[in-house]
Amino acid sequence: MDRLIYSSLAAMRGLMAKQATTASNLANVSTTGFRGDMASATATWLRGPGMDGRAAPSEGVIDADMRVGAVAATGRALDVAMEGDAMLGVQAENGEEGYTRRGDLMVSETGLLTTGDGLPVLGGSGPITLPPADKIEIDAGGVIWIQPKGGNANDPLQQVDQLKLVNASGTRIAKSMDGLFRPVAGGTLPSDPDARVNAGALEGSNVNASAALVDMIGASRDWEMQVKMLTTAQDLDKSSADLMRLD
Amino acid sequence: MTTAALQVARTGLDAQNERMRVIANNLANVNTTGFKKDRAQFETLAYQNIVSAGAASAGDQKFATGHALGTGVQIGATAKIDSQGSLNTTGNSLDMAISGAGFFQVTQPDGRTAYTRDGNFNLSAEGQIVTSDGMPLSPAIQVPQGATSITIGADGTVTAQLAGQTEVSELGKIETATFVNVAGLQSLGNNLMQETPASGAPQVGAAGTEGRGTIQQGSLEASNVNIVEELVDMIETQRAYEVNSKMISSTNDMLQYANQNLG
Repeated sequence: MDRLIYSSLAAMRGLMAKQATTASNLANVSTTGFRGDMASATATWLRGPGMDGRAAPSEGVIDADMRVGAVAATGRALDVAMEGDAMLGVQAENGEEGYTRRGDLMVSETGLLTTGDGLPVLGGSGPITLPPADKIEIDAGGVIWIQPKGGNANDPLQQVDQLKLVNASGTRIAKSMDGLFRPVAGGTLPSDPDARVNAGALEGSNVNASAALVDMIGASRDWEMQVKMLTTAQDLDKSSADLMRLD
Repeated sequence: MTTAALQVARTGLDAQNERMRVIANNLANVNTTGFKKDRAQFETLAYQNIVSAGAASAGDQKFATGHALGTGVQIGATAKIDSQGSLNTTGNSLDMAISGAGFFQVTQPDGRTAYTRDGNFNLSAEGQIVTSDGMPLSPAIQVPQGATSITIGADGTVTAQLAGQTEVSELGKIETATFVNVAGLQSLGNNLMQETPASGAPQVGAAGTEGRGTIQQGSLEASNVNIVEELVDMIETQRAYEVNSKMISSTNDMLQYANQNLG
């Protein structure tokens, strides 16, 4: 019996993984600063005697979609949208440095500056802790200015720290298991003095819902085609069995 | 494995549904005095590793990229947006609004202090300044019977003209509380908030000092909900819900097709 069905099976497995990737993108259509995942299939050729007639596809997430998501003004002083390719340095849960586009910053009860999902934001020297302040402002260069608690409202603001903004151009970065970006080769990225942020605005998810819906329909039609392939193989197998039958 | 896409899309539906509840609550409180709107914060769920980047593929070759599948989304938190609501003049002498940061302190029936921006105060039968639910302002301020023209200064000093006296008398001083992390306060309902380990301890003092806002007598702070913004968010949520439910029906169709045709 032909091994055609195994090629189809591999394709079906891959298509279901692609569907799960699209589902994950669609589920994160409202996640601040989310970068969509891109799935793609690569052919694995089996070399051997005879014709190379079959290639098992292996579907996987190849990269993240790095296009900029829609930026919406919120007016909240601690919301920052990064311009261009700039990324914000944060401390991942395992203590490593990771990079994100998520800019909905919060101040915890200890004054620690975190992203909306609770990761400490890195500054000039490690995680940023802000003293009690009446007013916090973040300028275009990512410098944090505060008016200390109880200070005179007319005094000039004081500089406390600067967000660690990096630019990954020239370095291959990839999304890690925790959803943060890290250089593929390891290590950390240096601060980029030219990186700019927009305070009072938030970048949404960059998932394009209509493109994801098209991917979804594509994957489900491809799936049907593979099922057709399997039923065809079944029919072929049955007819050859019928030919052999002696009666 | 085959149902991964179904489960992932379900997390999307759950999260959008929860966001819709947050928006509905914001809209429902559009006329609530001193209400601060909430914002639902989405978080990506952990990625599931299928193939690690750098794992050996064959011989000395290594996979250049990993193969990881996202497992969906969740609402990690709802953050209070503590922007100032607009101040509306009512002319009632016991209506107060805080212009700037700070909360009024009220004593709950169980003796604990709660915090509110709702400055809709009244006099109780015993002459105490109380909220519309009857919770006394803390520190308590007693207004003697027959007191007229109650005046509350920007710093919270309450004075009144007492019967049979020519000079105005000071009745007490309203103190307000601020928190390091206002977003960490817990809502109790009835416009009240409670301190939590996340909010930090209250810093109590006279209004207008140490960053506390000033008290405006005869005004009430409106809710900071912006109807147009909420309606836009509502439509966005509805659309996101729709695409996630489309994903469920599409994956269901795939499985149904396989079930019907194979066998």
